[in-house]
Amino acid sequence: MGTALLVSPEVSDTGSDTAARRAASEARDRVRFEEDALALSDQVYRVARHMVGSREEAEDLVQETYARAFRSWRTFQAGTNLRAWLLRILTNLNIDRGRKQQRTPETQPLEEGDYFLYNRLEEAVGDGGGPAAEEQVIERLSQDDIVSALAAVPHDFRDVIVLVDLGDFSYQDAAQILDIPIGTVMSRLHRGRRVLKRELAETAMEAD
Amino acid sequence: MCDCDGCEQMMQPYLDKALTEPQRLEAEAHLDECSYCRKRYRFEETLRVYVRQAAVEEPMPPELKERLAALRTPLI
Repeated sequence: MGTALLVSPEVSDTGSDTAARRAASEARDRVRFEEDALALSDQVYRVARHMVGSREEAEDLVQETYARAFRSWRTFQAGTNLRAWLLRILTNLNIDRGRKQQRTPETQPLEEGDYFLYNRLEEAVGDGGGPAAEEQVIERLSQDDIVSALAAVPHDFRDVIVLVDLGDFSYQDAAQILDIPIGTVMSRLHRGRRVLKRELAETAMEAD
Repeated sequence: MCDCDGCEQMMQPYLDKALTEPQRLEAEAHLDECSYCRKRYRFEETLRVYVRQAAVEEPMPPELKERLAALRTPLI
């Protein structure tokens, strides 16, 4: 790229043919790349929507991501994970936008275990042991409860939940997208899910 | 066989299929015997589905889709 081809006069026709073929082939690759990227836009938007605070911010971020992706499409290696590549751009842009880095959560105490939410909801339902108790319990949570509880989870944790639990990314892909070690993905996921359940317990109780 | 506390510790990795084989068998042996933990595992499994459904229900605005398509390199 960017290297001028020095073509002697007697072979110049062949040279320009080659250049034209190359340009046509590149245009085809670019069109395919753009189509593939656009086909993923719903999924990219969904991740953005839960990573940032508002719908407007999410829309801006997705638009910026696509603008950058279309400009630098040549750096994408065909055959690798395009969705992860787009989200890596999105994450970097989000950080560039000055999102505050939260360093506290990793050390935040979390006394509640994984059964905490169930126990709280079961108390509220007032049913100790019916066969469908867990269904009754979960029905207490509305879609809004879940969305606002997710939004209340600190973003370092939320990003991992959004990628792995909502976006179906592997730990490995999430680690690459967020540029953190895989062990950090696992610990943030584990703690993040607990924080989410604590938030859900609060949201569900407030709704009473 | 593990106790309920141990079983609680193993719930997330169990559902993520991240336990080693002996750990998985240990958790399952406990779950076979303990309806208290079984309920909580089932709840967690359903909760994950709920969270996923709740989070995906808001579709992308169609105008954004148009704006993204407009960013494509024009064909000359």
